[in-house]
Amino acid sequence: MKGSSLFYWLRLSALFMLGYTVWVSSFILINQPVEYNSWISFTNQTFFQLSTTFAAFFFLVHTFIGLWTVGTDYFTPRTLGFLHPTLAKYADLIRSGYTFLFVALGVLIVTTTLFIIWS
Amino acid sequence: MSTNHNKIRPVYRPVYINLMQIRLPVSALISITHRLSGIYNFFITLPISLYLLYFSTKSYNDFILIQDTLSQPNIISTFVTFSFLVYAYHILTGIRHLLQDVHIGESLSASSKSAYLVLIIWFSLSFLLMMRLYL
Repeated sequence: MKGSSLFYWLRLSALFMLGYTVWVSSFILINQPVEYNSWISFTNQTFFQLSTTFAAFFFLVHTFIGLWTVGTDYFTPRTLGFLHPTLAKYADLIRSGYTFLFVALGVLIVTTTLFIIWS
Repeated sequence: MSTNHNKIRPVYRPVYINLMQIRLPVSALISITHRLSGIYNFFITLPISLYLLYFSTKSYNDFILIQDTLSQPNIISTFVTFSFLVYAYHILTGIRHLLQDVHIGESLSASSKSAYLVLIIWFSLSFLLMMRLYL
């Protein structure tokens, strides 16, 4: 993938999740203390379900780009070697394991979110 | 800044970089903590919010249990508040980065001022939320 498209996807997903967060947290802040019935009707509206679904997918995009960048910056022979020279030899293995871990966890989180929202 | 650009550069780059020996300006501190808070959000804040969403919409009793737990000062409510504060920190520093992407506050002095501004806003927010929880 082109670096510029990664750049724009990161920002686009950030803006969407920012808007989503402002919307949900302003509902909670305005309706203090939140009643059970208003919370249920808020989370049962189609707009909440759809925007949460979009937020979940944008979260996956944002997380993948962000954590991948962190991995390629720090899980390299150069930076791991500072901790211990032996680690430098296994940098590629460590980075693959790390990438697998966060992709698996990200997919699990999105699946759980969709399950909670739509069931 | 010295005028050593005529000198021959060392042939060997440092093999391993000691991150602890680099002196970070405040804007770099904001940048690295933005990353760290992102990692925290992924592994801790997001699973917590999913847990809260699931149980707060499951039944009335679960909702009341969560509301009671989170409105009283205890280790769980402190931990949850802290996690959402880390999320707020990621958002605040993220907005700062987004503004710099569209060339607002890009200069060295503006960048360090906005870094302090973000820190002031976040510490005030933390103070308010913890006050609300404990007092």
